[in-house]
This record gives sequence, structure tokens and C-alpha cells, in this order.
Amino acid sequence: MALAMATNLKPVDVAVIGLGAAGGVAVLPLARAGLKVAGIEAGSWMDPRSFRPDEIHNNVRGMVTSVPKTKQEVPTVRDSPSVPARRLGNHPMMNAIGGTSIHYWAQSWRLKPWDFRARTEIQKRYGASAIPAGSTLEDWPVTYDELETWYDLVEHELGVSGKAGNIQGRIDPAGNIFEGPRQREYPMPPLRSTEFSEHMADAARKLGWHPFRPPAAINTQAYKGRPGCAYHGFCGTGGCHIGAKNSTAVTTIPEALKTKNLTIFDRAQVTRIVSASDGRVTGVNYLRGGQEYFQPARLVLLASYTYETSRLLLLSKSKAYPNGLSNNHSQVGRHYFAHWGTQGGGAVAALFPFDINVFYGLPAQGMAVDDWADDNYDHTGLGFVGGSSLHVHTEMHPIEAAAMNTFGRAPAWGSAWKAFVRQNGARWVTSYLQTSTFPYESIFLDLDPETRDPLGDPVCRVTTNPKTNEQRSVVYAQDKMEEWFRAAGAIEVLKVPPTGPALSTHAYGGTRMGDNPETNVVDRWGFSHEAPNLGILGASVMGTSGARNPTLTVQALAWRTADHLAQSWKTIAG
Amino acid sequence: MQPGENDSPRISRRTVLAGATMVPVAALTAAAQAPKTALTASERHTLDAFVDRLVPKDELGPGALEMGAANYIDLSLADYLAPEKASFVEGLAAVDAYARTQYDARFADLTPEKKDTVLTAMDNGTASGFPPNSRVFFNRVRRLTLEGMFCDPYYGGNKNFAGWDLIRYPGPRLAVGPEDQKMSTLPKPLHQSAYGSGHGH
Repeated sequence: MALAMATNLKPVDVAVIGLGAAGGVAVLPLARAGLKVAGIEAGSWMDPRSFRPDEIHNNVRGMVTSVPKTKQEVPTVRDSPSVPARRLGNHPMMNAIGGTSIHYWAQSWRLKPWDFRARTEIQKRYGASAIPAGSTLEDWPVTYDELETWYDLVEHELGVSGKAGNIQGRIDPAGNIFEGPRQREYPMPPLRSTEFSEHMADAARKLGWHPFRPPAAINTQAYKGRPGCAYHGFCGTGGCHIGAKNSTAVTTIPEALKTKNLTIFDRAQVTRIVSASDGRVTGVNYLRGGQEYFQPARLVLLASYTYETSRLLLLSKSKAYPNGLSNNHSQVGRHYFAHWGTQGGGAVAALFPFDINVFYGLPAQGMAVDDWADDNYDHTGLGFVGGSSLHVHTEMHPIEAAAMNTFGRAPAWGSAWKAFVRQNGARWVTSYLQTSTFPYESIFLDLDPETRDPLGDPVCRVTTNPKTNEQRSVVYAQDKMEEWFRAAGAIEVLKVPPTGPALSTHAYGGTRMGDNPETNVVDRWGFSHEAPNLGILGASVMGTSGARNPTLTVQALAWRTADHLAQSWKTIAG
Repeated sequence: MQPGENDSPRISRRTVLAGATMVPVAALTAAAQAPKTALTASERHTLDAFVDRLVPKDELGPGALEMGAANYIDLSLADYLAPEKASFVEGLAAVDAYARTQYDARFADLTPEKKDTVLTAMDNGTASGFPPNSRVFFNRVRRLTLEGMFCDPYYGGNKNFAGWDLIRYPGPRLAVGPEDQKMSTLPKPLHQSAYGSGHGH
């Protein structure tokens, strides 16, 4: 990148790199505070008319989730430094205004208080030896109670539907009795039940468990001018054609534009964050239409996806940062991990002797059980810590339905197969398990010297390997899931042995948040320990996963970082 | 020039109604172009015979061939799957070559029993002449056959919605009510493509 050729743009207060789930939220409090914000996004607006009820388009060919740029930037993966890294296939890192919040499942969970203090809590209940060997687990510098304000803000600003299980300590068994206390009810009731989800709830209650309908950033009634969900069955990896899924493209970003303080630079690929000899960042370089630009900014918020965030920091070398921006303590890329559970290959599928009809609906519509999540049960003698949320959901497309496992009851082709799918295509379902996952010394991100993107920059390289704690934890949860399915009348249950995640849409760490600069990249507010006017947003700052989808926590943290920035502008921006 | 763009496509009532007819503008444009196929008549003949044995026509109704699965694959290899065409054609040639080593005839000319013997050997990974092994190509044809049987008819398969009827998938609907999600009774099938009826494929 020859900086001399770059066109210098008008300076702004804040340059936000990436207008996805995280950056798309942060721009709103910044713009409302009167700061001039440049939102720099590699993608552009997606047209709701391109969100079609079409399995080939959405799910088979990934036309909503894959864009040419990210296909060329997919990280490589290896088990350890002693083996070569290779590319496993495409990965839905998204470029679009709204980012992955356009096509995600929109499950909008809060983490539990335990997840923020897992190290302390594990030691207290099971002793120091229960901390998984080789893990780099630390307590978060933020507690659940501190983050609650921002969880609440995001739930109401974007619109999250659900049923509270704990309002200021009052437990309601219609919601999740294991959740941390919240200040008030969700702004909308939960997604509607189906006969099958109620059937699963009855089975859970028979077992003495506590089923509930999980929260989602999906309207269940008209909210802020957008309609309620139509349950049409093309939500996962597709966009919402009526705007009932509360992506940042239809919520916070349009709100921020109304202030006139946000300018969006779309189709703009950030190549470097520039820093001066005093260690402060001065702006970002980006390419747009073959032309190179330099956007000066008093403050930069980096809000790419986890893999691209570490990569961009490592690529942004300068005199002050010879090993990459904010990496003088060699912590960029460390404490990375991806979510174990169904995302890590630990699937559980069930066959019923009656129709269950899960064709329509959406992945966020279903029944969840938290009795086996986090530390909600005694782990003494089990040989692992942490647990899994269990979720059975709707939305099954026809190709997916027909590609079902035959559970050993029929061959995979011929007339016998045809008779089998005729009978059973509407009688099977999968489940979604999410398992507490911890960071380890031997799992990390760096740059791959062998594989480069079209600009000649190395792609991100993932070094990852299975860990006994998480493996045991998933197997335990799969047994619980089987118990639940059997109690509901399943005649076959298929459990796939978990091998662990490689690339994941739930990828954490690389720029972990913590008070200690020796082991963390950003401080308790999300700002670099080294470059004081660089903030980082996204799951890359999270030190534990919980048994939850990460997005709501990412968004609460992003809003909190932006609030802190607006309130301490003079101190931070210098 | 300062690049910048703040025009959000609004989710207006008009968009919702355009969606309600399920005919996106992009589909209308696509419909104006004549669909292209990728395979020669001879290659297509082998593929037809292959999918016909994978899911045969029987007392439950049409099979993969009648549903247009081979047509879907042929169209896709000229379009989205074009990067895969060369290896796919090699696979088809390997099927015929293997049939010749076993029965001295090309695959499509074998009896149904002998065809099934060839496919079983491929499924087991024991048929010779396939890099890296016959199971990989068998599974690819099987997967694409499923796509062709159960896709939106827009893509050239699932003829007369016979695939969706087979597994009792009730078809895409834009609004789904509680009664459409009952366990006890599946909704009445809606024989409708997401792209309307005047599509090109």
C-alpha cells in the first residue's frame, strides 16, 4: 500500500470499521452524542427483495451469506504449528450493511452472571484443580450486573422478543428461571409456540426440567414501524423480506443516519489502520473502486468479524507497533476459541413415529432447556466444567428434510429409500446445543505466510485442537438431549461424536478484554491497552462463550464502549 | 470525489406486496434468458440412467428422472456449478468405463439389476477408475439428485411439485399461521414456485 497515492478525506471524529452486528449498533449512541462518524463497510445495502423463500438460493448456494471478497479471505486451519494449515471451505464472514445480523438466527441471549466470573466460581465450587488444564481462563473485568443496563438498552432499541424468567429477583417459571436478574420484561412477547414445541415442553416437565421459549431479535408484533414475524420458514441464512428480523440494517443504522452525523462509505475495504510514532492511531486506509483513500479520524473503532479483527491488527504494523497494532504484548490472536456444541459437530437428531411438521417457522422458534447449561447443576465427579443449553426448533427446508439420515432403517437410495422419506420427511428434527467454551494456550490466530488474499496480504490462520473438558461437556449434553427426545416419544436418536469446531460463526477472542495488559488486548471499556484511541467491538473481546449465541452480548458491549467514548470523549480522543 | 451513500432501501408496503406475489424483479430478468445446459446428449443419457436408478419411478409415483433431477443438474452445471463441470463429466465417463469393464456395455444400456450392482460398488467405494474413489462421485450425484428433486421448480427440477409432494412439504408460503404448524395435520400443499409460473427453466 503506497500511502502517498491515497486520497485524503475530510477528518471525522470516529471511524468505525465494519457496520455489522457490532459496529452497526455503536454508530447510534455515537451519532446521537453529536460525534461525526464515518461508517466504513466492505459491503453495501442488501435489497429486501433479494430475500427469497428459496432453499437453493439461501441455504444450498449461500447467496445471502457469501460475497466474493470474504470468499477470498477465508482463514486457514491447522491442528498445531507442526502441521500445514489448509482451507476447509467457505465461511459466512459477511460484508453488508447489517453484516451477519441480516442472515443470523437472531437468538438474542444474555450471558449468565456465572459466565463473567467462571474462573472464580469454578475454583470456589470445585477447587483450583477443576480449571481445565492448559486454559487461559480469566474472569471478565465486567460483571453481569454492570452490563445489564446495556443488555436492556439493546433489547429495547433493536427489539427483542422473549419471556423474562427473573425480574429483579422475582422468578417466573414461564421464562428461564436460571437467567440473571433483569430490570424489566422484554419489550415483546416470545415467538409463538407450536404443537410440537409444546409437546417437547411437556416432555421436559415430565423429566422435572424447566422449558421456556428462548429470546430472539425478531418482532412478534408491530414494533417501531416494522411488522411481526410471518413464520414463513426462510429465516436462517436468509434475510427477512418484511424487516421483522431486527438486523442493524433496519434498526440502529437507519436511526443513526437520521441524526446526519453518520456517513456511510460502502464497498470500502479497509487495508490498514494507521498509527503514529506516539502510539496513537490517526485513521484508516481503504480501497474503494480501485482507488485508495485515507480517512483521518480522532478515534477508530474496529468492528470486523473475529478473524478479520486480529488479521487487520497484525497487518497494521508501524514504528510504534512492529509486530502489529496493539500487539506489543503479543496478545493479538491469543485466547481465541470457537463454540463447542452443535456448531462443533455435536449434533443430536431424532425420529418420531408421528408427524411433527417443523417445515415452517424459524430457528429461533422452539423450546429451550437451561437445566444443563453453565453451572446450573453440580459437576462434582463429572470431569468437566461448564454446560450446554438445549434447543429444539422449527424451520426445515425440503432438500434438508429429504437429505435426512435414515437412522439405520433404510438404504440411502432406491425404492426403499423413497418409501422411507415419504413416511419420515415430516417426522424428524435436529437440536441445537451450545456449550460453555474456554480459551487455551494452544489455540490461537495469526497470519498465514502461505496463503494470501488478492491484495497479497496473508489470510488469518487458525490453530485449534480438541479439548477434553469441552468434549466431555458436549457428550454429557447430548445424553441429556437424547433423554429429552426419548421422553417426547422419539423412536430413534442419532448422536454425532463431537470433534470440535474449526471455523465458526461463534468465534471469540483474539483481542480479549481484561484489566491486565500482559494477557489482554483491550481494557474493561473495550479500548486498547496500547493505542489509547483505538476501540475494539465484537466477540473478539469476549473471554468466555457461555452456552449462548454471542450477538446480544456483542451488541451490549458495543453500546457500552460507545457510551463510554461519548462520555469521556475529551480524555480518550485527546 | 467523496464516496458516500446513505440511501437505505426502505421496507415499504410496496416491497411487501411485491414479495406477496413472490415474483422478485431478478427472477423476471432471469426468465427472459433461454436456459443453457452443459452436458452432451451422451453424457446426459448416462446421467439420466444414473438418477433413474437412484430414485426410481414406482408405486409411490415419479422418480428422480421424471421429477427433472437430471435436468436440474444439467442446467446447474452450465450456471452456478460451472466450475464443477469438468470433474463431473469425468465422473460420468468413469461410470461408463467401469460398466464396460464389468459388463462390456455402457451404463445406460445395462439391465436395472446390473445398473444397481454398478451403483452399489460405487456407493461402497470399490468401483475402479474414480479419483480419489467412486464413493465421492456417487455421493455428489446423490446430493445433486436430492437438490433436483426437492428444489423450487424455478431451477428445473421438482417437476409438478412431485418432490415436495413425496415428502409432504407443503410449499413456500409468505405468511404461516398457527394452523400451518400443527403436528396432527400437515397444511394443504401449495403448488407454487417462489418465482411465479412464468419462469425460464
